[in-house]
Amino acid sequence: MKVTVLSESPADEAAVRILVDGLLGSPTESIPPPPLRTRGWSTVLSVLPGTINHLYYRTDADALVIVVDADNSTPHQRQHDLPDSANDQCRLCQLRSLAVKTLSKLKEMPTRSRLKTAIGLAIPAIEAWYRYQIDPHAIEVDLIRRPDAGTRALRNQLKQDVYGTDQPGSEMSIARAREEATRLVQIIDDFERLFPNGFGALARDIRSW
Amino acid sequence: MIESVEFRNLKALRDTTLPLGRFTLIVGPNGSGKSTALWALLAAGNMGLLEFNKIATAGLGAYNNVSLVLRWGGTFAGNVTHVTWGQNDEPVRQTDFNEELSGDAIKVVNDRLDNILSAIRIYSFDAPSIAAPTSLEPHMTLGWNGRNLAGVLHQLRDAEPERFNALNEEVARWLPEFEQILFETHLGGPQSFLLRTREGHHKIQASELSQGTLIALALLTLAYIPDPPPIVCLEEPDRGIHPRLLREVLDVMYRLSYPENYGDKRDPVQVIATTHSPYLLDLFKDHPEEVVIANKIDQDVHFERLSDREDLDEILGDAQLSDVWYSGILGGVPTHP
Repeated sequence: MKVTVLSESPADEAAVRILVDGLLGSPTESIPPPPLRTRGWSTVLSVLPGTINHLYYRTDADALVIVVDADNSTPHQRQHDLPDSANDQCRLCQLRSLAVKTLSKLKEMPTRSRLKTAIGLAIPAIEAWYRYQIDPHAIEVDLIRRPDAGTRALRNQLKQDVYGTDQPGSEMSIARAREEATRLVQIIDDFERLFPNGFGALARDIRSW
Repeated sequence: MIESVEFRNLKALRDTTLPLGRFTLIVGPNGSGKSTALWALLAAGNMGLLEFNKIATAGLGAYNNVSLVLRWGGTFAGNVTHVTWGQNDEPVRQTDFNEELSGDAIKVVNDRLDNILSAIRIYSFDAPSIAAPTSLEPHMTLGWNGRNLAGVLHQLRDAEPERFNALNEEVARWLPEFEQILFETHLGGPQSFLLRTREGHHKIQASELSQGTLIALALLTLAYIPDPPPIVCLEEPDRGIHPRLLREVLDVMYRLSYPENYGDKRDPVQVIATTHSPYLLDLFKDHPEEVVIANKIDQDVHFERLSDREDLDEILGDAQLSDVWYSGILGGVPTHP
């Protein structure tokens, strides 16, 4: 299966691909380089329609996976998944709504199967996932309830905890991302249970393919 | 480490303070004193570089001086160095020492501060200088524009083969089409470097490499030499480099500033860089304390550390730092048009 990951960095991409492979139970392929990349949340929304169009019409990608950091935005909740309940302050809901709209405009082609999508939200940042089962409070519900939830200070603290510095180099970030994602795959059901909204949404999307 | 530099009557820097950390990125419009600040810092260690008549703020009275006040931090906290250029006097540098120091300790600290100041370097790389052949000499150092790169690389290969190999690996990561730095000796002795391609093993002369490749190579070399200057000022290190490689440019600068994060055992280098690149600025979303905005209002310039803006988080919201900067809300943009 050819899966494209739209991410903010090579480190995020490396981790997300390992998690996707873990959820699918088999390794995915990439489309030919260059890998797709965004420069942060505000650019994800603007590049998503073009990305979907590009993948559908110009590549043989089967699926697109997007994972973004929640930062200080509204965390995704299960009730957002109910009909007409999407929250426009939730990044996952915004991406999902835009993806659905863009996919609905694609022209059907006899030689082309539907482009599948899966969207995840790391609350507040992907480093929180890497702390699961290392820090007992690194679970979604606790991360949302913290007084400093979503702040820059918390994001930098998570980096410090994961990398030993809040200014990690690219190589170290990629190595740690791979290491932690590989560990999470071994405990993926527990991980999904305790990150039910941000990671859970991604897992549910992928299982529905 | 220098914690801050106060400027008085230095061109557009009439009365302002530049806050500094182990790493500092200065953004601002053209003519906002970014380069002036770096050159003044260089001149603090080599006062003859500046002449009063060329650096004094326009209209400065005859009895006013141009001055810098350098406040030291870290190991040297509490020491303050004053550098003054007067119209009719020789420039003067003098340090007020930490009150806890006395006798021999003052002399030791004074010597060390003098050594740091005299070793400050500015780099403003340009491709032809980087590619120029070099006559090999002992103890070669990288020139301000990248000159001598061939000699510095040659020296690194012979004296520090492990670092040279690590540099080759990093070059291959940045520029995957290349796999090895090679050397060529010209008639008469000058040395130049080449890059060997991964596919086909073609040897590409330095003079045939792109501007971005040459600047990337000079930056990387600076980060891999064992004894870089204690304070490095980089003018637009992102020049000519693809935006997707800016994370790597930041890695190079952070390798200098935070060697411990890269497994490098040498002393940290204080890095002060300037940029006009919104893409580079975006990499500092989580570290606004490392960004200084140079605000130019009429003929006056003021520096402000981004994290000192109390309303920063509200201003930023979901937006990219670069977009907010470009809008002008943060300052550091041309006032016209």
